[in-house]
Amino acid sequence: MNAILQAHALGKRYGQRQALADCTLDFPLGRVVGLVGPNGAGKTTLLKIACGMLAPTTGRIEVLGEQPNGATAQLARVGYVAQDTPTYASLSVADHLKFGAKMNPAWDAKLAQARVEQLGLNPKQKAGKLSGGQRAQLALTMAVAKRPELLILDEPVASLDPLARRDFLRHLMESVAEHDTSVILSSHLVSDLERVCDYLVVLVSSRVQLAGETDDLLAQHHRIVCTRRQESDLPAGLEVISAEHTDRQSTFVVRSDSELPAGDWSAEHLELEDLVLTYLERPVEHGGDTAMQPTGAAR
Amino acid sequence: MIWVTWRQFRAQALTVLALLAAAAIGFLITGLRMHHNYSAALAACAPLHACDGATPAARALGAQLSQLQRSYEPVLMLLQLLVIAVPALIGIFWGAPLIGRELETGTHQLAWNQTVTRTRWLAVKLTVVGVAAIATAAILSWLLTWWAGPLDQLSGDRWAAMTFASRDIVPLGYAAFTFALGTTLGLLLRRTLPAMAVTLAVFIAIQILVPTLIRPHLLPSTTTTFPINQASTSQFHGFSGTQTDFHFDLPTPQGAWLTSQPPVKNSSGQVVRIDSYPECFPDSQGDAPDLSQIGACLAKDNLHQTVTYHPASHYWPLQWMETGIFLVLAGALAGTCLWWIRRRQN
Repeated sequence: MNAILQAHALGKRYGQRQALADCTLDFPLGRVVGLVGPNGAGKTTLLKIACGMLAPTTGRIEVLGEQPNGATAQLARVGYVAQDTPTYASLSVADHLKFGAKMNPAWDAKLAQARVEQLGLNPKQKAGKLSGGQRAQLALTMAVAKRPELLILDEPVASLDPLARRDFLRHLMESVAEHDTSVILSSHLVSDLERVCDYLVVLVSSRVQLAGETDDLLAQHHRIVCTRRQESDLPAGLEVISAEHTDRQSTFVVRSDSELPAGDWSAEHLELEDLVLTYLERPVEHGGDTAMQPTGAAR
Repeated sequence: MIWVTWRQFRAQALTVLALLAAAAIGFLITGLRMHHNYSAALAACAPLHACDGATPAARALGAQLSQLQRSYEPVLMLLQLLVIAVPALIGIFWGAPLIGRELETGTHQLAWNQTVTRTRWLAVKLTVVGVAAIATAAILSWLLTWWAGPLDQLSGDRWAAMTFASRDIVPLGYAAFTFALGTTLGLLLRRTLPAMAVTLAVFIAIQILVPTLIRPHLLPSTTTTFPINQASTSQFHGFSGTQTDFHFDLPTPQGAWLTSQPPVKNSSGQVVRIDSYPECFPDSQGDAPDLSQIGACLAKDNLHQTVTYHPASHYWPLQWMETGIFLVLAGALAGTCLWWIRRRQN
């Protein structure tokens, strides 16, 4: 086993709606994988398949070298924090910890206790009375104290204010570093993932648009500004991701697996956020939802 | 997992425990007094050999017992209704939210990602709460069966729909069934409130259908045919007629459940009318008709009437069968839940 997750041609269909299509992925072990995409892109579907809550309609998936099957051996290895971080409103924080202890043989009670103290949560407080940020922290504590090898978090910070967001991600990263856990984390905001992810997947309209190590992706993409020209006039080996033209000027975002050849242009690297946005705006090639704006539309 | 189930079920369990304790105290206080009055009256009857005998003293005691029966009638109806309603309440407040609320609030995603398989999670929940449901019904049914003992003796009728469904072991079957039904509906509908409503609707439908369409046919009933003549009608208990037909109240063995008493027919099996025999039915409105005279008058027409009943000996077999049927249905529903939760991943 040397991958967090390996998917091949993975697809999920709900009746007429294709929630995930032709998804082929390979996340190396020990990474913090960020899954970005607009709402409804299929992030939740992919994560639910990964933790065994959903069965795929087509394709194969292995998580930590095993098919997600809902058996205890696999359940023990994967921690999952669902969207909106559900907790039992009528149970107290202490009850949640006991719940975790009773339900998980590998439960790390010390860790859970320490985290709750560090977060300043009152053990007697009912989870229903916690703030959104505190509830997310409690859900994360539950998942972390289970001591999984892989932590899957579905939009854990979506409903949090910026301060709680930063706090949550800081705690997540601390515990990941401490226990050497792999993480898959989704968000519809790149800024959430920018600081924490070393592997990035962009999912648009149920399809994977981009996947790779964050550093590689940043190194491979350039924005070139040059005198107005057609895409076909660019040297071979450059994949054009987006093109914008004014009367006299053309701006391209290109991907080049080898070093960018010199030319009569000015080239610069993109910020991660710009890079992701470029892919989010790119029309989806095969089928799917084509509500995306065509590339190069004048803005 | 048992602790987890108990922790989530604690509030409901304690509520019911408190209600059960209150009910038990109420049953005991009223029941002990009634039992005392009843046995005192019976003891007084013993030297007179019968309470409805000919002597004025015996008649007075008989009236006293009737008075006892009448005075407890409203309370009995209320308690019967309670024992019948409890399985419905269990289905609605224990069954429907058991899984339905988890799916509704999304907490199933928390529960299903601990180191416990979904099947085990559900099986433990079903067992713990299911056993509590059956135990609750058992305690209430036992209390009512004890409490109403003298009243049931006096009325001599254990077969009325409300009586049969609220005594002995039948309530246990209903409790298990409605609990499993509520749970299944919560799981399939994924919402608590609709699951509660459908559970109640199904329960009411069953309470109407079972006594009328199912219970009478679980065991073969006995049908007896009486010819209409002076000798037979003198044993009949009563008579009633309408424009289109008429029937006598035929004698059945003691404690039998009369399920059907169709009108008088002629030898070719057709229902006959009163006005076909004007000479036999004098217009004696108000007075009780003289049955043997009517019988003598109708004898030459070769009429007959049937009565269908279950003998008293069918009481316990029918109790067991009905309980068994609903326990099996409950098991089937629980099996459906387990199959669904394993197969349908959501």
